[in-house]
Amino acid sequence: MAALLQLRDVTKDFGGLRVVDHLDLHVNEGEIVSVIGPNGAGKTTVFNLITGIFHPDSGEILFEDKKISGLPPHTITNRGLARTFQTLRLFLNMTVLENVMAAAYGHTKGTMVESMLQLPRARREEKRIRALAEEKLSFFGQRLAGYRYDQPAYSLSYANRRRLEIARAMATDARLLLLDEPAAGMNPNETHEITELIARLRDDAGYTILVIEHDMHVVEGISDRVVALDHGLKIAEGSFNEVATHPLVIEAYLGVRAAEEAV
Amino acid sequence: MRSLAPLNWSLFFGELVSGLTLGSIYALIALGYTMVYGILKLLNFAHGDVYMIGAFVAFFVLQWLGGPLSPAVTGWLAIAIMFAVAMLACGALGVGIERFAYRPLRAAPRIAPLISALGVSIFLQNSALLLWGPQFRDYGTFDLIGVHSYSIGKNFFISNIQILTISVSIGLMIVLALVIARTRSGKAMRAVSFDREAAEMMGIDVDRVISFTFFVGSALAAAGGVMFGIVFGQIFSLMGFTAGLKGFTAAVVGGIGSIPGAMLGGFLIGLTEAFATGYLPGGSVYANLYVFALLITIFLVRPTGLLGSPVIRKV
Amino acid sequence: MSPVPEDRPGPIVPEGAPVPPDEPDRPRVGTDEWVAQVEQRREAGKGLTGVIARAWERVPPPGRLLLLLGPFAIFPFITNEGNLFRYGLITIIYALLAIGLNVVVGFAGLLDLGYVAFFGFGAYLYGIMASGHSGHHLQAEIAVPIVVVSTALLGLLLGLTSWRLLGDYLAIVTLFFLQAFVIFVNNANGGLNDFSYPFVGKVDLTGGANGLDQIDPLNWFGFKITTTRGYYFYTLIALALVMTMLFFVNSSRTGRAWRALREDPLAAEVMSTPVNRLKLLAFMFGAAVAGFTGTIFGAVQSGAFPGDYDVGLLITIYAIVILGGLGSIGGVVIGALIVNGAPELLRSSSNARFLFYGVLVLAVLFAMRPWYRSLVVLAGTVLFGLAVHAIVAATWSRGTAGHIEGAGTLGRALDHWVLLPSHPERIAGWAYFALIVAALVLTIVRGWWRVVVLIPTLYLAAFVWENKLVEQVSGATRLILLGALLVVIMNVRPAGIFGTARVEVV
Repeated sequence: MAALLQLRDVTKDFGGLRVVDHLDLHVNEGEIVSVIGPNGAGKTTVFNLITGIFHPDSGEILFEDKKISGLPPHTITNRGLARTFQTLRLFLNMTVLENVMAAAYGHTKGTMVESMLQLPRARREEKRIRALAEEKLSFFGQRLAGYRYDQPAYSLSYANRRRLEIARAMATDARLLLLDEPAAGMNPNETHEITELIARLRDDAGYTILVIEHDMHVVEGISDRVVALDHGLKIAEGSFNEVATHPLVIEAYLGVRAAEEAV
Repeated sequence: MRSLAPLNWSLFFGELVSGLTLGSIYALIALGYTMVYGILKLLNFAHGDVYMIGAFVAFFVLQWLGGPLSPAVTGWLAIAIMFAVAMLACGALGVGIERFAYRPLRAAPRIAPLISALGVSIFLQNSALLLWGPQFRDYGTFDLIGVHSYSIGKNFFISNIQILTISVSIGLMIVLALVIARTRSGKAMRAVSFDREAAEMMGIDVDRVISFTFFVGSALAAAGGVMFGIVFGQIFSLMGFTAGLKGFTAAVVGGIGSIPGAMLGGFLIGLTEAFATGYLPGGSVYANLYVFALLITIFLVRPTGLLGSPVIRKV
Repeated sequence: MSPVPEDRPGPIVPEGAPVPPDEPDRPRVGTDEWVAQVEQRREAGKGLTGVIARAWERVPPPGRLLLLLGPFAIFPFITNEGNLFRYGLITIIYALLAIGLNVVVGFAGLLDLGYVAFFGFGAYLYGIMASGHSGHHLQAEIAVPIVVVSTALLGLLLGLTSWRLLGDYLAIVTLFFLQAFVIFVNNANGGLNDFSYPFVGKVDLTGGANGLDQIDPLNWFGFKITTTRGYYFYTLIALALVMTMLFFVNSSRTGRAWRALREDPLAAEVMSTPVNRLKLLAFMFGAAVAGFTGTIFGAVQSGAFPGDYDVGLLITIYAIVILGGLGSIGGVVIGALIVNGAPELLRSSSNARFLFYGVLVLAVLFAMRPWYRSLVVLAGTVLFGLAVHAIVAATWSRGTAGHIEGAGTLGRALDHWVLLPSHPERIAGWAYFALIVAALVLTIVRGWWRVVVLIPTLYLAAFVWENKLVEQVSGATRLILLGALLVVIMNVRPAGIFGTARVEVV
């Protein structure tokens, strides 16, 4: 297997606007890759393309060497990718535990009839799902554990909601996590925690991670590789230092003058 | 079952004119639905009943003017007055409904205003039943302005009231299109239907725009109701239901939220109904079934309606 | 992985302030905890309803089922057959229908406006298989499963047409389906308007407008259910079973998937839930329940008649689901009691009169806080009424010439209070209109203005009631009140009586 996730010449237009422009991107197993770029660069659209919310107009997306572009989102998730959302999309009226358990649908089999009749297989699987959810939540320490299990998701603080979304993505049994601005709106303490958390996700739990992030501290702290996008085009790729000092990247963020001065 | 001979031109033209007449009434109703949906994402179930009330208000205006046999003013002027009063009254009714049944629910889950709309519909329908009874009321068009038939060539016949209906409808639609495209209120309406929050932040008084939308939509429905009374001669308290359903279907077939779509949908449904009645087995009884079949087909081919725009979600 | 850069500022701790715990793993008491508790307290519900709600939560589910359905089990022994049918059996049948609809609308969030067509389909199909009309007499153990499966398949077909469609489109497709169904059964009697089927020509399937008559009673393995009481218990057991099964499904993977789909279909889809398939499943389940209930209704009525499966019934079932609370299994039972019981009570006008004035007084007592204001309103209304009555009696004799029939002491008292013109038609119409306007004005004003406006409004309401509404109490009036009730409930408690107030993603 060449790379766990591969985007080959992917293009996406919305009306007259080209949002993703012949993008080549790959993520190797065990890597943490960060995607950076100014707002409107197309980063979230790339996530949407990978997870099947949109279909690419040209090019293809491969996961484990098998094509996933064109498949419905739930099938793609079952293949082993899961994501979080830039604007948080939890199931607010469901409890913390239920949010995580809900994501286990794809790799469980109990049918409606079995649950109605409370057949042993359904009951066993239900216990398993619950244990799985508790395990994923325990990754976050005490914050989402114990009495928190049965609280509705809307009662959580912002930082906890972000953590819950990650736990939910983990429960899909994914190998690759797509985190869309996990540190958005967090104070320095929380940002520091998130940075450590992402590292732990790779080191302790073995996930491969693709992150969209604006906070350069986080990017610097976790990335094996950084990809910079602007107006849908890849403008730089490499280690954090290489990309951070790349003239095109500086230009994209700060303008031409700053780029000239930086050189 | 009529013969399927396509060379029976007089049948063809007859159904064509029928369909256009019916279609123009449906289009007027559909416009109200689509405008409200575009701006509030709400299916206003009560709309069909506003149409019915328009028809009744015009009827009572006619009675007040002396009735169809001895009106205080000439027939055509009476009709003009009926239109004006009905449209104003129903416009106000629409504004009132919005203010009291929908506005408080702007932040509630989407099903709440739907149920509220259902409640308003039941309320209006049965209030009409209570106050005016179930009997049919006669417009007496024949006595009022006389029904004359004009013909072009050997096979094409059209009556004066059909001309009236089609031309008034098209006239109203043109006015509406101009209002939306050229005036500030129209622009505000478009802005609010695109993005309510942003419009508010740009200084648009969203409440006023929404009220205006309801006013216009309800006035158009009332016009449709008056036309129905003129063309078909009889009105009754339960007429809002089927007409509302057809108007709603027309709006959805044309692509809900799209104004040209509502017009197109209205005429399409009217023509389908007319031609199905004339040509297909089962005729008028099953006409609704054929409209239903048309509906399903259109959805299968174009899920967002004929002129509707596919929803682009920002995720 | 590089360590945290040294020059980053840490948390600012003022002089002498207690140092917050450093371990990131422990909940920071005072922030997260406080937020969670405040939210919980706010959700807990105030006053009496809150107390009842909390007590209800503590009863284990089997106990709750017993509490809800226990009274139903006792009911047949304390009432006669007529009442058992009207108040008991019909209520349970409505409750069953509402539970099925609740799955479609409340669990999966689909707006199905053609639901009662499945109910009718079940009744008619059972009739085709087991009636004197059709000549077949299949026993229930064969007929009922066939009906349930067929109805589910019909639901599948209808649901498939709305694959990928937005919810509002489903609404119209299903509504039209109901219309089509009604037209079809009205005409499929082999007569003039019917289709001519290939091979068999015209067939009398449904008996047309007269209905499909002589439907056999349900015959399970030779045991025929022939009494009202028999059907009552059969249906009650069925209701209990369906409620239990749904309760289990709710906390299962399918139930969670349905709820996730209701919350946020996009997020659910991305979190491995096949949204379209689950919508279809909910749709089919609802259809199957409706079909099953149709077999019962057909057997009970010994016939299936087109007029029973129309929009009126649809509205009734929706009212039950909404009142009881979308998604609440037990709530629909209460909803069915209210929606079926109340109109039955309203059938006799003297009952209705008591109910009307009673509700009015209660509403004033509950709605006006503090308590002395409500007394002021009630006393003021009585005095106002007496004054107006006296003035009108003195100046315009026709104004009080009318008379309230047969309502005993209340009637006689009202005679001296309410204006009863001898020819009320026109003025009653304007009074009705004025009452609506007054009620709407009431929602805008506040404080003591409310008291001032409320007094003449109440008097006007009594006037309109006695002169207009009371005539049509079993017809239009019921529905007028239902419509107004729906609007009011949505404004006051959008989630229904037992629904939980939901936070929604806009």
